[in-house]
Amino acid sequence: MMQKQLPMHSGVNKMAREKGSVRKNFLKGLFTENPLLVSILGTCPALATTKTLEAALGMGFLFTIVLICSSMLVSLLRKIIPEEIRTPAYIVIIATFVTIVKMMTNAFLPELYSTLGVFISLIVVNCIVLGRAEAYASKNGVFDSFIDALGMGVGYTLAIMLMALFRELIGTGAFSFGTIFTFIPYFKLQIIPASYEISLFQTPAGAFIVFALILATIAFIKNRKAELKANLAKQEKARKLAEAQAAAAKVQAGGSK
Amino acid sequence: MPNAKKYILTGVILGSIAAVAAGLIAATNLITAKKIKQNELDKINAGLATIYGNDAKVKDEADLENYEYSVHYYAVENSQSEFLGYAVKTSGSNMYGKISLIAGFDNATHAFMSLYMIVNEQSYATTLVEKYIEPLNKDSSKLDDVTCGATYGAKLVRDMVNDAKAAADALWSKQNG
Repeated sequence: MMQKQLPMHSGVNKMAREKGSVRKNFLKGLFTENPLLVSILGTCPALATTKTLEAALGMGFLFTIVLICSSMLVSLLRKIIPEEIRTPAYIVIIATFVTIVKMMTNAFLPELYSTLGVFISLIVVNCIVLGRAEAYASKNGVFDSFIDALGMGVGYTLAIMLMALFRELIGTGAFSFGTIFTFIPYFKLQIIPASYEISLFQTPAGAFIVFALILATIAFIKNRKAELKANLAKQEKARKLAEAQAAAAKVQAGGSK
Repeated sequence: MPNAKKYILTGVILGSIAAVAAGLIAATNLITAKKIKQNELDKINAGLATIYGNDAKVKDEADLENYEYSVHYYAVENSQSEFLGYAVKTSGSNMYGKISLIAGFDNATHAFMSLYMIVNEQSYATTLVEKYIEPLNKDSSKLDDVTCGATYGAKLVRDMVNDAKAAADALWSKQNG
């Protein structure tokens, strides 16, 4: 029996292609499909747990663990779970991991547990987790789902940390570490003098303002980019038209001669 | 008949997922239960130390019954075995989350001294602590000043402290015969 010959470097090319798609799969969660800043999902914990950089990091860490574990299990069971019970099965899986994460946090990071409070339990109803299970993990393999969940988790963590960075800096004038993650020694980095802090940024209203400003900045950058692209396309079109007109004129001049 | 088979299979799959989930949670509970209990004990000791001073220790303790919030009391004494007062652990919840605290009462005046939060799962947890609990711990007469930006949580704390006061008063009555 004749076997189809593979091109000499097909393995290398496939690996390179796979590496590229893995990178793309991971990076989309950070930038183009960032769950918080692009899809505007999971805003409730983002507003409530971003008072300090440490709390935001803790929330992002727990969220990423739940997202990765549930996405991988959903992907693993995607061919077994019947269509009719897909959503209840996903919710059971997500709730299980949230409960496990909650118990672990209560046991080993009690300060983080008491700081985040009810928002750890609320990860169960976070639409990003259920959304990724439904939209991605249920249609893709375990490794791809892992990369997707990791990208989304890291993207979400970075987004809430960005919010926390502004809120803690403007709201308290300092960054403090070691109050939630007690295994690191406590230290406070005073950046703005204490009398110049704006405590509004530590309140829920401040969270909305910071969130709105970040979204507005992203929208401005996006619009500016689109505008530049449109201008370039317009210039290109005009240049091509001018070239075509010049060519036509040349042909006409040649004909009349 | 094929439909019945399908329904049974669906039920079995969902049941299996739930069973595995229950198993995982039970296994995690086995690992964490002891540590969580120890953390709670450490918190209670820290709470008693905050209210009564660093040499406070539990002389006697027991569960309480027939109270809306109060669940447990501690008779506290110092290192010279002088009775300092009763501390009452209370637990309650409202639509914003769970609260568990220890309220301390002075032996001489039977008055409320201060409180220590063990669990604060309120969605306005930090506002509650900063605008109500901290001022209250500095001046115990501010118990009824509940308008603070986390008013529902503050009202719950106030009711829990009043309930703890009733429990402590009952303990003193019993003690004095």
